[in-house]
Amino acid sequence: MTRGARVFWTGFVLHFKNLSASPFMMVTAAIWPLVYATLAFLMFRATHQAPSLLYAALGAAVMGIWSTTATSAGGAIQQQRWLGILELLVGTPARLILVLAPITVAIAGIGVYSIATTLLWGRLLFGVPIHVLHPFLFAVAIPAAVLSIGMLGLVLASSFVLYRSASNLSQALEYPIWLITGMLIPLSLLPGWVHPLAWALAPTWGMRAVRRAAIGGDVGVPLLVCAALTVAYTVLAFLLLHHFERLARDRATLALT
Amino acid sequence: MKTWLRIFFVGGVISFRALFSWIRPSIYIPTMLLGPTTQVLFFAYLGRTAHLKSDSWFVVGNAVQSASVAALFGMGFAIDGERWTQTLSAVLATPANRAALFLGRALPVLVNAAVTAATGFLGGALLLGFRMPWSQVPALALVLLLASFACTGLGMLTGAVGLRMRDVPIIANLTMAVLLIFCGVNIPLDKLPGWMHRTADWLPMTHSIAAARRIAEGASLRSVSSELLRELALGLTYLLVGFGLMRFFEQEGRRLGTLDRA
Amino acid sequence: MAVIEAIELRRTYRTTTGVIRRKPLEVEAVRGISFAVEQGELFGLLGPNGAGKTTTIKMLITLLLPTSGEARVLGHNVVDDAREVRQRIGYVFGGDRGLYERLSAYDNLRYFAELYGVSGKAQRARIDEVLELVGLKGRESERVEGYSRGMRQRLHIARGILHDPEVVFLDEPTIGVDPVGARELRTLIANLIATGKTVLLTTHYMFEADALCDRIAVIAKGTIVGEGTPTQLKANVAGGRVTEIEVFGVDDAAVGRLRGIDGVTAVTVEDRDQKQLLIVQTTSERELTAPLLSELDGVEVGRVASREPTLEDAYVALVTAE
Repeated sequence: MTRGARVFWTGFVLHFKNLSASPFMMVTAAIWPLVYATLAFLMFRATHQAPSLLYAALGAAVMGIWSTTATSAGGAIQQQRWLGILELLVGTPARLILVLAPITVAIAGIGVYSIATTLLWGRLLFGVPIHVLHPFLFAVAIPAAVLSIGMLGLVLASSFVLYRSASNLSQALEYPIWLITGMLIPLSLLPGWVHPLAWALAPTWGMRAVRRAAIGGDVGVPLLVCAALTVAYTVLAFLLLHHFERLARDRATLALT
Repeated sequence: MKTWLRIFFVGGVISFRALFSWIRPSIYIPTMLLGPTTQVLFFAYLGRTAHLKSDSWFVVGNAVQSASVAALFGMGFAIDGERWTQTLSAVLATPANRAALFLGRALPVLVNAAVTAATGFLGGALLLGFRMPWSQVPALALVLLLASFACTGLGMLTGAVGLRMRDVPIIANLTMAVLLIFCGVNIPLDKLPGWMHRTADWLPMTHSIAAARRIAEGASLRSVSSELLRELALGLTYLLVGFGLMRFFEQEGRRLGTLDRA
Repeated sequence: MAVIEAIELRRTYRTTTGVIRRKPLEVEAVRGISFAVEQGELFGLLGPNGAGKTTTIKMLITLLLPTSGEARVLGHNVVDDAREVRQRIGYVFGGDRGLYERLSAYDNLRYFAELYGVSGKAQRARIDEVLELVGLKGRESERVEGYSRGMRQRLHIARGILHDPEVVFLDEPTIGVDPVGARELRTLIANLIATGKTVLLTTHYMFEADALCDRIAVIAKGTIVGEGTPTQLKANVAGGRVTEIEVFGVDDAAVGRLRGIDGVTAVTVEDRDQKQLLIVQTTSERELTAPLLSELDGVEVGRVASREPTLEDAYVALVTAE
């Protein structure tokens, strides 16, 4: 592994561990997706024209990934500042993006717990068959979705740390992104002008890859777009963070005190 | 809206203060105003996906629900937030009348809840073409107030439990989840399994939502009076039980020294 | 070549003031500071709160850009060669924050080892080594949330020296640590010097600076008001003496009269329960006890003692001088 990859991986493992030890994070990741899955199951089961329950289970699961990201990744840099660690992180010779990206990706990664709990919940309480068509692709699609959504979280975190008054919007982004990225609602039901927006968002493609790997359809294109968006977000976050670091050194905003 | 709860946690005490002295529009607007609208939109579209009920049905259900959740969480914050700032014991040490103390605290929460719901309706009107007769607005306002009252009562109860346990947010989260699933917000009551349907009868919000939907369709207050009375009775019961528990835990807290967090 | 060099460092903060109408306000935290620290030296920056110590350190460790002036660490410019500087220095600050509470000490260290590029194979050995050095061996798998203040501080130091930096910056490392813990920390800091590192330390505990530092610069209001070895600084206190007078209920007027006596350079008042301790610094070898006491006529006087000046006296004389 190269130095950069090692820094990223160590950081990811550490932050994943740290977040897993947080009861609040775990409640967000484990319980809320179950609530939405239950709602979707009951709503979809009430009629005969609705998509399948497996469709709903997978949607609620990926909604969980976005949930943890929207609620925690947006404030991830602030959080490090409050912990008094931001200074220490910036003070290391590692590149800032390699230090901060693992944090938001780990936050998205916590959403993986929600995939496990929703599928299990659906199986046990609603008899939803856990039938994954392409287990291998499914196993690839999940990390791809997590990575791209986590990097989107980093873009949010780095823009919010620059424009602090916007940071409260992070949480308010939860429903809108669920709405337009095809988690439970097919994109085709939404007005045309929403589509380009949805295409630029990683959750759309992550969701598509995960769902198609399980239910059927082409997985290659969504995976490729996921990868491309990951790269695009990385570049964007890099530029934002570069600007942030310069600004922070200039304005003395790294420490809380 | 669990996001309000999350702000409490994620943003910590600072955000909490800003949220509760809702003077700072940068927090108030996105969470309290955008929240209900995006929720209304999400569930209306989810309803379209499932071919279940009309947009209006979801607008009314979710707007009323957002009011009650604002009430539920507001009450939790009002009680638990004090413990965070470690002023609770100072307040409790005053000879102030307990009822006035906590009910006084409940009043702004109630008003806030009603405003939140109003924005949900407004969002539905602007984005989903939700319409109802103007003449029905006063009746609807009354129902909203009643729903908020009933949920404030429940909030008092969960807040009281929070005084004792250290996890108000988690309790409030679970309560909210139950309300969202059981009370006919997004799932018609007759599509729920029997036991859930029966439980819903005893929860706040179920009856207000049913009444609000009929009022939005033009029904008179009189025709939904039984639902409203039931809601009122439920609200009072929860409030009294909550208040009683609060007093009880206060005594216990003094004895065990668990009032303050640190 | 000096290991740390600061040349006319200056730092201004721009903030705003006023509740309704925001007015821009410029605060000069550091106003032209120059000093040099040599290889293997333990250099102390002393000064009251808000004097500019932390601002100076932050500029040296690349976290803050100087408004003007220049600084080099091991020959690298702290503005342009930030990464080179960061790779070669360690930074430790005092206080509770700065650690991942829910993780073990080992995980905290492993993370920073990676960030500092301590290579995989050397990592474990190095972490063991620093744990041993700071006396946390055996406790490393416990979560940090259970650590005492002193243990946290030792962990901070361990983190700061993981990558074996040539220069270590310690910003008030013993703040809030109990006396026994603080003493252990001082031993630890002295050991850093013994292993050949250069240390820049800020503190406002005088005995600490006196015990540890080879050289000291005293900062007040953003400028250096005195510099030298502890012995030199003490000698600067007018080569004189210090008289301590215990009084009960002295007023400002009486203190003012004492300051007016020829040969008195500084008078400070320390409150001790019902009584006060007047610390009077005098310039001359001349015995001033009698004139002092006569100016205190009417005030109840307790114990009177005369002693050699300490570093604290030197410090007080420097930071109170206008």
